[in-house]
Amino acid sequence: MVARRKILVTLDPRDEAESPSSAVLAPRPATLDGKVIGLLSNNKPRSEELLRLMADLIGERYSIKGTVEYNKERHQWPAGQAALKDLASKCDVAIHATAE
Amino acid sequence: MNTSKISARRHQFVGWEEAEEYYIEQGLTDGLPIVPPTEARVQAMLDYAGLGPDQVIGVESIRKKSFSAEKVAINAVMAGCKPEYFPVVVAAVAACCERAYNFHASSTSTNGITTLVLVSGPYANEIGMNSGTVMMGNGNRANATIGRAVNLVKTNLYGSVPQEMDQSTLGHPGKYSFCFAENLEVSPWPSLAAEKGCGRDASTVTVFAANAPLQVSIYGDKKPENFLTAAAHAMIGLGPSISEVLVVISPEVMAYVAEAGWTRRQIQTFLYEKTLRPAREWIAWHRVDHPAAIEDPERLAGCVAEPDRITVIPGGGAAGAFISLIASWGSSRSVTKEIETR
Repeated sequence: MVARRKILVTLDPRDEAESPSSAVLAPRPATLDGKVIGLLSNNKPRSEELLRLMADLIGERYSIKGTVEYNKERHQWPAGQAALKDLASKCDVAIHATAE
Repeated sequence: MNTSKISARRHQFVGWEEAEEYYIEQGLTDGLPIVPPTEARVQAMLDYAGLGPDQVIGVESIRKKSFSAEKVAINAVMAGCKPEYFPVVVAAVAACCERAYNFHASSTSTNGITTLVLVSGPYANEIGMNSGTVMMGNGNRANATIGRAVNLVKTNLYGSVPQEMDQSTLGHPGKYSFCFAENLEVSPWPSLAAEKGCGRDASTVTVFAANAPLQVSIYGDKKPENFLTAAAHAMIGLGPSISEVLVVISPEVMAYVAEAGWTRRQIQTFLYEKTLRPAREWIAWHRVDHPAAIEDPERLAGCVAEPDRITVIPGGGAAGAFISLIASWGSSRSVTKEIETR
């Protein structure tokens, strides 16, 4: 006689509304030629220096129009909406320094 | 009456060993085995707290992540909580969702903090929490599993997975569990719950974005102004950029406090003032992020911005004279929520 196997049913603890595929990339231009690059610093040491270096590297590959810099000063909080809108009005794309 | 049903995805296993391996391989534990979250166990949690599965405990303020009662209960079961612990877990998660706590940044920062769950009031005794000997350590089911439940919620529900979203450079053992209760038996003061305006008989949870504890030995000196100076000396080592400090005073030292008639407020003010140093000293110790931005090097700055940022509670065992200092991360404020029981 074959012993019946006891099935244990358990519940999943994760947020099922979110999956790796649920994140959507923001739309981006086909080229950076002629574009203004926004450089958003999180005020961590040397973040502005790193952002400017990235802008220089981008400038070697594309004919960018220029850069606009903004420092959000508090790395632990998102940049304010008014500041983001102001930055967005002055640039076509932006690079945001985050973490360390 | 909430008639919604538990809707979480189900998994089927042949026995608990298979279940354990799945949860561990999927990264759904803290590295330790968990209690398999069956529907019956989860329902028991919800029933005790009088919550429907789809009720929202809180919504985190940056990514707008919603924490349902069902999912928090699943993680509480996994942690090993008994149903009567669940109201504490619910209050802790709700507190973490308040903007002031800054759940998102504190869950991702290299700073390596964890959520300290501090319970004040009679409910701590009702569920058998430890506020005495080894209060910050092992051996108590309520302390261990409530703190663990909050950390599992952070990992499994919020996504702050170690080495992925959680980029703590070092971390500390409190990331397994960091939960204890205020020792009201040895306190000459009103409870912290009462101090927070929740009533003398209320029970509360206060969450801190906490670093590891720093313990100070008190060597036989009975005068508060002397042993608190020792504590202040250690507090200076925490630096000038912390948000708050939780100060836990052991019963032997609390007896001296009571004998001298010192209030909580006196201790807060004393420690705050004792840690005020001119900015040039903090700069000389290389404790300032942007020294060039300091306009007046003689301006005094303390570990925290004001005395109210220092929370003082009695805690610990009867023997031994110690004060524990627990710093909380610079961009988070502690949040207190009342524990709701039926």
